[in-house]
Amino acid sequence: MILHRSAARLRVLSARTLRRSPVPLAWRNLLSDRRRLARSAAGVGFAALLMMVELGFRNGYIESMLLVMRRLDGDIMLVSAQKYQFERVAPFSRRQLYEAGGVRGVASARPLYLERTASVWRNPQNGRHFAVLTFAFDPDQPVLLIPEVQAMLPELRAQDTILMDRRARSVLGDVAATTDGELSGHRIKVAGTFWLGPNFFNDGNIVMSDRNFFKLLGGSGRDHADLPDVEVGVIKVAPGFAVSEVQQALRAAMPPGVAVLTKQQLIGQEASLHAKLSPVGPIFTAGALVGFAVGILISYQILFSELSDQLVQYATLKAMGYGNGYLVSVVLQQAAFYAFVGYLPAWALCIGLFRYIGDIMVGPMQLTLALTAQTLLLTLAMCMLAALLALRRVITADPAEVF
Amino acid sequence: MTAGFASTTTRPVVRVDRVSHHYGEGDSRNQVLFDASIEIGAGQLVVVTGPSGSGKTTLLSLIGALRSVQDGAIEVLDCSLTGLGRTELVAVRRNIGFIFQAHNLFDSLSAYENVKMAMQLGDCPPGEMRKRGMAILDRLGMADRADYKPRALSGGQRQRVAVARALVNRPRLVLADEPTAALDRDSSGAVVKLLKELTLKEACTIMMVTHDNRILELADRVVNIVDGRIISDVTLRDAVVICELLRGMELFRHLTPSEITHTAEKMRRRRFAKDETIIREGEAGDEFFVISQGSVAVRRRAFDGSERLLETLQAGAFFGERALMVDEPRNATCVAATDVETLVLDKVNFRQALEQSPSFRDQIQSFYFQRQ
Repeated sequence: MILHRSAARLRVLSARTLRRSPVPLAWRNLLSDRRRLARSAAGVGFAALLMMVELGFRNGYIESMLLVMRRLDGDIMLVSAQKYQFERVAPFSRRQLYEAGGVRGVASARPLYLERTASVWRNPQNGRHFAVLTFAFDPDQPVLLIPEVQAMLPELRAQDTILMDRRARSVLGDVAATTDGELSGHRIKVAGTFWLGPNFFNDGNIVMSDRNFFKLLGGSGRDHADLPDVEVGVIKVAPGFAVSEVQQALRAAMPPGVAVLTKQQLIGQEASLHAKLSPVGPIFTAGALVGFAVGILISYQILFSELSDQLVQYATLKAMGYGNGYLVSVVLQQAAFYAFVGYLPAWALCIGLFRYIGDIMVGPMQLTLALTAQTLLLTLAMCMLAALLALRRVITADPAEVF
Repeated sequence: MTAGFASTTTRPVVRVDRVSHHYGEGDSRNQVLFDASIEIGAGQLVVVTGPSGSGKTTLLSLIGALRSVQDGAIEVLDCSLTGLGRTELVAVRRNIGFIFQAHNLFDSLSAYENVKMAMQLGDCPPGEMRKRGMAILDRLGMADRADYKPRALSGGQRQRVAVARALVNRPRLVLADEPTAALDRDSSGAVVKLLKELTLKEACTIMMVTHDNRILELADRVVNIVDGRIISDVTLRDAVVICELLRGMELFRHLTPSEITHTAEKMRRRRFAKDETIIREGEAGDEFFVISQGSVAVRRRAFDGSERLLETLQAGAFFGERALMVDEPRNATCVAATDVETLVLDKVNFRQALEQSPSFRDQIQSFYFQRQ
């Protein structure tokens, strides 16, 4: 009863405010022809979808390159200053990692080993060979924050045993069902699987112990068989110490050949490398720009033809005494409405599309809040730019011509 | 005399002074208005006629502040349009109601909302808008269609909405270009009736380009423009009114209808406020007066210098004829005893009327001798 009454009051209130507020001309124009609205929304939505997919690809690609880094269990990372990309092998001396372990404020300094050219996985079903990315660490000093890996540390200690990425691309075969496999010509045992996923350059990941790594793949230390070089030094900061403070101390202790980066810096450096320097990131950025340009053309066409249809009416408004400012605001409002009306269905469509594409490319295609905000702003900007171009039409409309 | 005239009339709503206008530049320069001058007072329904391309629309758009004045001067509603910038012109337009040949309504807005678009520019408080908007739609018989979109209305109904939009802010000046061209008989009738009412009740001035005979019948004044020049400017209502007045007077009883019309056309109405001197004893006389309203006191100076009331003339009476007939100075002073409206005939036309109409001459003479 109370609910009913307040609903009625709300209705009266909204009717009254509507009656007192100015005529919502842009909104009325938007809704006046449903068929044209559908056409326009489809046009704007298409451009929005294009941008979303392209930027989604770009983000997905970059994110796939960061999968392992995000799961490193440390605050500060030591890498060779020569290393310009995480998966490019560029080791540094183990001795430096030991030294780092002695720096004040460092709780632990653990090595991560990495291999991506010599580790060749044989598809157990069809016998073909594929390069995979292999990560190795000392099971007594685990560095990966992958629950399944953390749970299977005892199994990793066994000889010739590996853990396999069950989200690997299907070209590697049915890895989940495989117990006996072949890696770089060695027979190995697959003790279990974990969930990570491939990236743009690698079809899958393998995790093993440092002992197996040196035995099966020779390790990355060529000259120091007794003291193998490390790929990444994973450092944990002791409680009570600030990360930046420890980073400073490490920088002072390390030779110039070793870079000292926080986990976030390492991830940020890698992301910007792929976004800007690798050929892939800019391609998708260009794709999004094409979508933006196409969108401007489409929305310009939509607005221009609509303004042309109502040119006499707009000229009449001028004759009545409306200034250009009002007309500009109406057109901009209408452009903004088109942006939203086109964006919403495109966004909904994108949820399904991203899931589908993500399954195909086995990549992290995510319609994040950031991507939503980014593409919505782009769509708005696109429509606004188109509106500014189309505005000339109403601004030059001569009220004297109506007479 | 002119002082008396000015005291009883307000300033003109529209004053166009030697306005010329051309389109294009250089070789393609094309002059469409030549030295046009016109003054329009409050409450007049002025119809502008002329062949298409004669410049009548240009004249209207200049008066409506839709174009900038190039040459000459225009004053509209006490505001000089000469040299105004774009923004100032826009402000002037807000005080003018425009009715176009096409309705130019927004298809996306309801009839009421189209009218409200105009109210948003006026001084109507938002809370009153619905009431006022519905009132004007009601006067045009459109109240029950207020929430219809233009697509759902007939051509006549749409134009009535457009008229409502033009009139809702109660403008003192309405400019209309063929407002009834697209209307059926009934709609046209409703529109014209409302426009006429506005001129009579609210002293709204309407300037309208039209060829519609039904409007011509109601017009106070017809201005004819040909090739950019005002070739005639006839004040219809005055002539009609004067004709009617003359017909009811003893003096003109024996005149034929055409003689009355001819005389009436040459007469001008002139108003005098109470106590205003119309003619003064001893001055040269060159006009003949017929009283159409009010009364006039005739006084003559006595030998001792004091003024003596000879008689009081009532409506239908005339005076000032003697000075014209015998070329002598005024032999009496005539002062308006109340607010007076007179019909004035100048010397040339008075004599012409005497010559052309023997019965008029006889009438004047017989009254004249009676009075002696």
